[in-house]
Amino acid sequence: MLRVVALPKAVAAGVAGAAVIEGVTLAAAKAGLPTIDLVSQLSAAEFHHMPALAVVAAFIAHFAIGICWAVFYAFFFWGRFHLRPALQGLLFAILPATLAILVVYPELALMRSAADVVRLDIGSFFAPLNAATIGSLLVSHALFGLTIGMIYRRPTGYSVDSRPAPPAPRRRSTKGRQRREAAAGFMFATGIECSYPTIENGTWRRDEMKSTSHYEMWQKDFELAREIGITHIRYGPPLHLIFDGPGRYDWSYSDPQMEELREYGPEPIIDLCHFGAPSWLGNFQNPDIGAALEEYAGAFADRYPWVRFYTPVNEMYVCARMSALDGLWNEQLRDEGAYARAAWNLANASIRMSDAILKRRDDAVFINSESSEFYQPCCPDERVQQIAEESNERRFLPLDLIFAHPLSKRMHDLLCQQGVSADDISRLCGREVPRRSILGVDYYEWNERLIDRAGNARALGELFGWYVIADQYWHRYRRPMMHTETNKMDADGAPRWLWRQWHNVQLLAKAGVPLVGFTWYSLTDQIDWSIAMSEAIGLVYPVGLFDLNREARIVGLAYKHLIDLYRDQPDYRQCSALAEILR
Amino acid sequence: MIRGFLDAHGYDPGPSQRPLLAGAISGILATVPAIGVLIYFGSLKIEAHILGMSSVATLALGWAAMAVAGAAYARFFGRAANALKGGWLFGMSFSFAVWAAGAVLILPILSHGQAPAGEAASGIAASMIVWGFAVGVLVPFVHKPLHESIESASKNADVGPDAAARKNGPVRERQQEAKR
Repeated sequence: MLRVVALPKAVAAGVAGAAVIEGVTLAAAKAGLPTIDLVSQLSAAEFHHMPALAVVAAFIAHFAIGICWAVFYAFFFWGRFHLRPALQGLLFAILPATLAILVVYPELALMRSAADVVRLDIGSFFAPLNAATIGSLLVSHALFGLTIGMIYRRPTGYSVDSRPAPPAPRRRSTKGRQRREAAAGFMFATGIECSYPTIENGTWRRDEMKSTSHYEMWQKDFELAREIGITHIRYGPPLHLIFDGPGRYDWSYSDPQMEELREYGPEPIIDLCHFGAPSWLGNFQNPDIGAALEEYAGAFADRYPWVRFYTPVNEMYVCARMSALDGLWNEQLRDEGAYARAAWNLANASIRMSDAILKRRDDAVFINSESSEFYQPCCPDERVQQIAEESNERRFLPLDLIFAHPLSKRMHDLLCQQGVSADDISRLCGREVPRRSILGVDYYEWNERLIDRAGNARALGELFGWYVIADQYWHRYRRPMMHTETNKMDADGAPRWLWRQWHNVQLLAKAGVPLVGFTWYSLTDQIDWSIAMSEAIGLVYPVGLFDLNREARIVGLAYKHLIDLYRDQPDYRQCSALAEILR
Repeated sequence: MIRGFLDAHGYDPGPSQRPLLAGAISGILATVPAIGVLIYFGSLKIEAHILGMSSVATLALGWAAMAVAGAAYARFFGRAANALKGGWLFGMSFSFAVWAAGAVLILPILSHGQAPAGEAASGIAASMIVWGFAVGVLVPFVHKPLHESIESASKNADVGPDAAARKNGPVRERQQEAKR
C-alpha cells in the first residue's frame, strides 16, 4: 500500500466534487453560458429510450466516477506536494481533465452514435471537441479538484476529543498457539508500533496502532509473530485511551490482547508510555505527569500481575527532543529549557513507575530503551566542537537520571535553571537502581550525526555502527544490554541491515558485554515515520517484518531464518546474561 | 523511474509471493462477468466483426489477452494489489488505462480505422470497468493460497547470512546478477 486511505472521507470528497460540478453546470446553463452537462452526456449515451431511468443511472455513474477519482487521489496523490490541500486537489485535477478531453468526451460522442461500427481517424475522433467544450471541461474538473482537495485531509489519526472503536474481540481459536520463549533464552523480539503523540498544538492524536489496523488485526499480528519464531514482543497498550483520569481506566483497549499474550505469547515487554500522554494530562511540561503515570503503572501491574517485563517510558530522549526541542509533538516547543523540563519529568515518571511496579512484583524486569544517538564534530572549529559536545551531553540526560549516573555540569545547571532543586537531582542520582534493569539501545541509520560547519546535525549513515555506539553506553552505565529497535527504510536492503546488526550484537557479546536480546522493530510497516509523524498524511513506511496486508516482507523471512539458525545454539537457548538477571 | 519509485515504497513482492500467476488466474476469472456485459450490450459480435473473427475465437483471444493483462496488473501494482480495501480501485484504474489504450487506440489501428460505436462502444467500456473491478477484488483472494509458505520461503539462501555481504538493491536484480 502506498498510502493509508480514509475511505469514508474519500467517498465524501468524491460525492461532493461531483455534486459541485452538477450544481455549477446547472447554474451556468441557466445563465446561458456554454457548459457540458456530464449527466446529460451519459444519459444520452445509454438508456435513451427510458429518459427517467437514464437520468438516474447517469447521476449514479457520475457520482461513482467522482468517488473513484477521489479514492485514486487519496491513494496516489494526496500529500505528495507541499501545497495547501485545495491546491493539491486542483493540481490533481489536471489528470482527470486531460483524460476527459482526450479520451472520455470523444468516446462519449461515439457512444451516442446510431451506428454500431464507424470508421475513425484522428480528426474525426477529436471532432466533438472545440474551445467551449475544452474550456467547460477544464473549469468543471478544476472545481472538482478544489472540492476534493478541501475535503480530503488528515487521513490518519483523530481529534483528541474522540476515541477509536475498541480492539476486535478475541476469537476462540487462533493459529500457531505455540509459545516460543525458553525460560532464560535469548530474546528474539519484535514490537507493535504504538506511538501516540499529539500534533497540531495538541488537537490531533496520532495513533499508530489504529493507523496500522492493529486494533482490528491484533490477533493475526500475534499469530504472525509466533509463526516466525518471535519469543518476546514489545507492546504498548494505548495509555491515552486506557487512562481516563485519576482512578478511571478503560481496560477494553488492552484486555483482549493481554489475555491472548498471557496464554500463548509472545512474552510481552510492556511499554507503558510511548511518546504521548492522555489529553487530560496535557503534555510533558506538566510536572504532575510523574505522579499520574506512577498511578497508571500500579494499576496496570494490578490488572496484569503476570507481566514481568516493562519499559516504563520509551525513548525518553527522543520524546523530550521531538516534543520540546524540535517542536513536532505534544507541547511543540523549541527551547533548551523546555527540553530539560520534559527530560526531567519523563525520567522522574519512569523511576516512579518502576517503583510502583516493584511494589506489586519485586522480580519485575525493566528494559529502559533509548535511541543510541551520537554526534561527531566535522572539524576542529571550537563552536562546532561545542555543539557536538552539548548534543552528546543532552542525549545522555534522561538515562543519566534513571541510571543514577553523575550529570555533566552543563545539564545539572540547565535543570536547576528550570526550577529543579539540586536536592532532587541528588536524590535521583544517589538512588539504588533496581537490579533487574536492562539498558535497551535502539539504533537506526540516522542515529550517527555529523555537526557540520554551519552547526547543523546531519545524518552520517552507519559510520561507526551499533557496536561502537552501544559500547559507549555500556562503558557509561555498565548495565546488561539489549538491542531494542532497528529497521531499514529500504525494504529490499533490509535483510542486509538485519544481518549486519546481528553481527554487531554478536561482536559486542564476544567482547564481554552481557547482551540479552535483539529486536527488529516493528512487526508491520509503520505510518508517517518518514516525516516523524509530524503531519497526518498516511505515508506507508515499509520497515515491517510484514506489510500492512500482513504479507511477509523479505526481512520477515530473513529474521525467521536468523532465529531458526541461532535459537537452539547453546549460548542462545540458555542466555547466561538473562539468567543472571532473572535469578 | 517507476520501478525505483515502487521499490522505494517496498512494493517488490519478495520471494514468497507469485503475482504473475495470481494475476493471470484472476484476469481469466474476471473475464466471466465482463463477457456477460459484452453479450448484454451486443458488443461481442461487433468486436468479432471488426476483427474478422468468429465470436468464439474473439472470446479466446480476449481470454488470453486478459490473462496477460491480469498478470501485468498484479506485477505492476505489487503489494498494493493484495490490498482488500484498495484492490477494486487499483483494478478499475488499470482497466481504464487498458480500455483507453486497447479499445480506443489499438483496436482501430488493428482494424484499419474501424471502431465500435453506439451501444457496442458503451458495452466495451463497461465490460472493461467490470473486469478491472473484478480483477482488483479477486487478486488478494487468489494470491493468498498461492504464496510460498513462510517456513519454506525463509529457507531461501537470499535471506540467509550471506545477505550481510550483498550490496543494496532490489532482490530480483540481484537474482538476475547471480544467474549471469
